Amino acid sequence: MPALVRDGVVASLALVPSVFVYGTVFGGLAVQAGLLPLEVWGMSLLVFAGASQFIAVPMLAAGASPLAIVLTTYVVNMRHYLMAATLAPSFRAFPRGWLPIVAHFVNDESFAVAVARSNPPEPWFFVGSAVAVSASFLAGVAVGTQLGGLVADPARWGLDFAFPAVFLALLAVQLRRPADWVIATVAGALAVGIALALPGTWHIALAGFAVSALAALVLSPEPA
Amino acid sequence: MRGDVWLVIGGMAVATYLTRAPLLLALARRPLPPRLRLWLRLIPLAVLPAIAIPLVLLERDGAGARLAVALAHPPLWGAAVVLALAALRVNLLVTVTLGVAVVAFLRALA
Repeated sequence: MPALVRDGVVASLALVPSVFVYGTVFGGLAVQAGLLPLEVWGMSLLVFAGASQFIAVPMLAAGASPLAIVLTTYVVNMRHYLMAATLAPSFRAFPRGWLPIVAHFVNDESFAVAVARSNPPEPWFFVGSAVAVSASFLAGVAVGTQLGGLVADPARWGLDFAFPAVFLALLAVQLRRPADWVIATVAGALAVGIALALPGTWHIALAGFAVSALAALVLSPEPA
Repeated sequence: MRGDVWLVIGGMAVATYLTRAPLLLALARRPLPPRLRLWLRLIPLAVLPAIAIPLVLLERDGAGARLAVALAHPPLWGAAVVLALAALRVNLLVTVTLGVAVVAFLRALA
């Protein structure tokens, strides 16, 4: 079991630099958007889901309603249900008392590494990977919050654009089938329409939820 | 404002934990139904443009949001660069850095 934890850490070392830098970028941008370093780091520890944190920061900076931010976070993170459902059968023999803590550290990177090694994934290996990924993310955020304060005028350096840039880059690599393009285009257009019509930032959760649900009803599911 | 930030962080933490813990703690035996799996896979494809496109195309001020579609609008060019580079599978951080650089350059020209 300790050997498997170690294997999980070692197998994740290749991810450590990019997760660290991702955390650094998030920490820096969040501080520039007006959050305090402790808030940024606390969010990273308590939420520990990078994409949703990136989405929440410009919403917080724009003074969005707390409910809209929390609901948007939930929609963005619903993909965890997929990972948790895949991991669950492997964790039957795992010490039950540790499950609530392990659950908090379910993340895309460790899931990908663990499933690539064996399917069903090995729980202790997954734990090792989660330790490596969370430690490098939280260390990166801590460094970023200290660097972020150094830039006096973020907009002059185009840093406000870093938020949409991250989202567009994450999206572009996921656009594979023609249907993906349709979903993304319709969701983007609907979000623009809602944002023009309604005050606040409900357009993200509304358009994201509605368009993905509609597409799931229309498209035929792939065999599992 | 500051108290609100911790309230939001707490709410985000609870909402996110509710996506991770229930199925793992219940030691769910069966995979999710295929159509539910499909929906969960499609959510990022809808959420990411739903946040990104308005950030690129809309300008917000006290009066609300309005379309900012003009060739002189730097984020439009930044978005084109990011999409092209990401489609070519250029590294995420390099892509974002170049997109930011394009926006900064165009703003410096203006």
